[in-house]
Amino acid sequence: MKYVNLVLKSARRSKRRSALTVLSVAIAVFLFASLRAVLDGFDAVAAASSSTRVVTIRSTSMIFNMPVNHAEVIKSTPGVQDVTYANWFGGIYKDPKNFFGQFAVEPESYLRMYPEVIVSPEERKAFLEDRTGCLVGDGLAKRFDWHIGDRIVLQPGIPYYGTQDYPFTIRGIYKAGSSAVDNQSMLFQWKYLDERSLQKGEIGWIVAQVADPDRAATVALEVDRKFENSPYETKTDTEKAFSASFGKMLGNLNVLLGSVALAVVITTLFVAGNTMAMSVRERTTEIAVMRTLGYPASTIFALVVGEGLVVAILGGAIGAAIARLTINGEFLHLAGGFIPAFGVSNWNVVVGLGLSALIGVLAALLPAIMASRLKLVDALRRVA
Amino acid sequence: MPLIELRDVSKSYRRDQIEIPVLERVSITVEAGDFLGLMGPSGSGKSTLLNLLAGIDRPTHGSVRVADTEISSLGERPLATWRARHIGFIFQLYNLIPVLTAFENVELPLLLTSLSKAQRKDHVMTALGIVGLSDRAQHYPRQLSGGQEQRVAIARAIVTDPTLLLADEPTGDLDAKSAGEVLTLLQRLNQEYKKTIVMVTHDPHAAERASHILHLEKGTLVEQAAESRA
Repeated sequence: MKYVNLVLKSARRSKRRSALTVLSVAIAVFLFASLRAVLDGFDAVAAASSSTRVVTIRSTSMIFNMPVNHAEVIKSTPGVQDVTYANWFGGIYKDPKNFFGQFAVEPESYLRMYPEVIVSPEERKAFLEDRTGCLVGDGLAKRFDWHIGDRIVLQPGIPYYGTQDYPFTIRGIYKAGSSAVDNQSMLFQWKYLDERSLQKGEIGWIVAQVADPDRAATVALEVDRKFENSPYETKTDTEKAFSASFGKMLGNLNVLLGSVALAVVITTLFVAGNTMAMSVRERTTEIAVMRTLGYPASTIFALVVGEGLVVAILGGAIGAAIARLTINGEFLHLAGGFIPAFGVSNWNVVVGLGLSALIGVLAALLPAIMASRLKLVDALRRVA
Repeated sequence: MPLIELRDVSKSYRRDQIEIPVLERVSITVEAGDFLGLMGPSGSGKSTLLNLLAGIDRPTHGSVRVADTEISSLGERPLATWRARHIGFIFQLYNLIPVLTAFENVELPLLLTSLSKAQRKDHVMTALGIVGLSDRAQHYPRQLSGGQEQRVAIARAIVTDPTLLLADEPTGDLDAKSAGEVLTLLQRLNQEYKKTIVMVTHDPHAAERASHILHLEKGTLVEQAAESRA
């Protein structure tokens, strides 16, 4: 502890240089934590997804619709207990910047099959009884300061949903019971959408509840077989596999984002290492004087590493704090059900700080060896 | 038993395969409480001799015994510990750490000891009091004159109450007035506090303050002025 003042004062020696090093480490840790948050979001959705629910989409792409009677066909498949369906609405609330996910759902079956959507019995009843009613996530309600009974109007964002505005009444505010459900979304009745849609009787995807998770893959195959050679061929998978494949649609994110993070960290390491080496070179005389006063080489080594640690951990703390405050669905308004669990976790903050400490130690290692191996007589000859 | 005993000490450096002798078969004894002035032209080996006494350098041949310890045979780590306990070093260019206050500079050698914060403070303030700079404790080196900086450096050298004070041209960078003050201070440390001092200097006026003077030329001892001025 008695060396802390010495380390802090040495780190502040060149304020501008130290500030730039802190900034470079902060940026590295910020990027690392942000990229990890995206990957964790996908992982959390996949992990929390049910293995007893299978999702059916059009085989060509999930952006194409299919007839609503597919749901009845799927329901008749052996092993299927229950079925629900939904559409992506893509409406605009006042301004396209106010983006959030809006899903037209078959309300009764949807709430039955998604117990993770937690809503009180009164609000549930009010929602089911009102054709233009909707449920909003508590995160979304907080974002727009919405309350039960408020009326909101959405403009349709997809041409075949018509050109007329869609007025809604908020009948309930739901809580997300797992990472698989987004609390930044809105659910409304599919019938309301269908009666105004230019293409009647179409749905985006169907979710089937299977009795036995071990049979989910077999059921999925049977479902797809039923629509083979029809104009609306399907692709069915468990919700877990569906979530995972959704992540894969964006490319091999793990490798891509991991490579970006690694490149940033290595670059920062070189920047910080070079700065530390410069700082130690400038202090050759001081280090020689300290050795003359009796400071052993090991203490000099520890002081230089300590200095690197202070600068890097300060940068890491700033980067992690900014990431923690800004990288979340609510702050960035990145709602829409793709990565509901989006945010920098405590664990990622800890890993980010650990990473900054590692950068600090590695960057200071070579300069610390230089300082501790300083040839005293030669260094003092320059002094005297 | 003498405090310093150099026996048959030689030192040479190797530069580009050529052996350059710096000290040749030098033998010196210094009693505790002496104030020795080491004089000689540049390159005569006086700073090398001082470095050997401080354990900063090692002789090529011979024995260096200081405060009952044969330091030429000590390893790097024990030598650092020995230096912290027995040696106070004063440089020509003061060499204070610019980011530390006068107090913190003087405290630097004490951080290596097991003294508590309060004890360290007592020691530092005593040392600053001896050099007459108690009121400058919170000043940074850039806020002090050259003479004051050298006095802080002396406080740093004496704060651990070392056995031996080594001064390498302590007045070489000072004006006449400041040089006089520093020399008076060193003389006081020798006479009042009984510190053994070895001082390297070019300046005959500075050397006059020493109780003994040794002259080095081309690495050998040429003359010993044995008269005591104390």
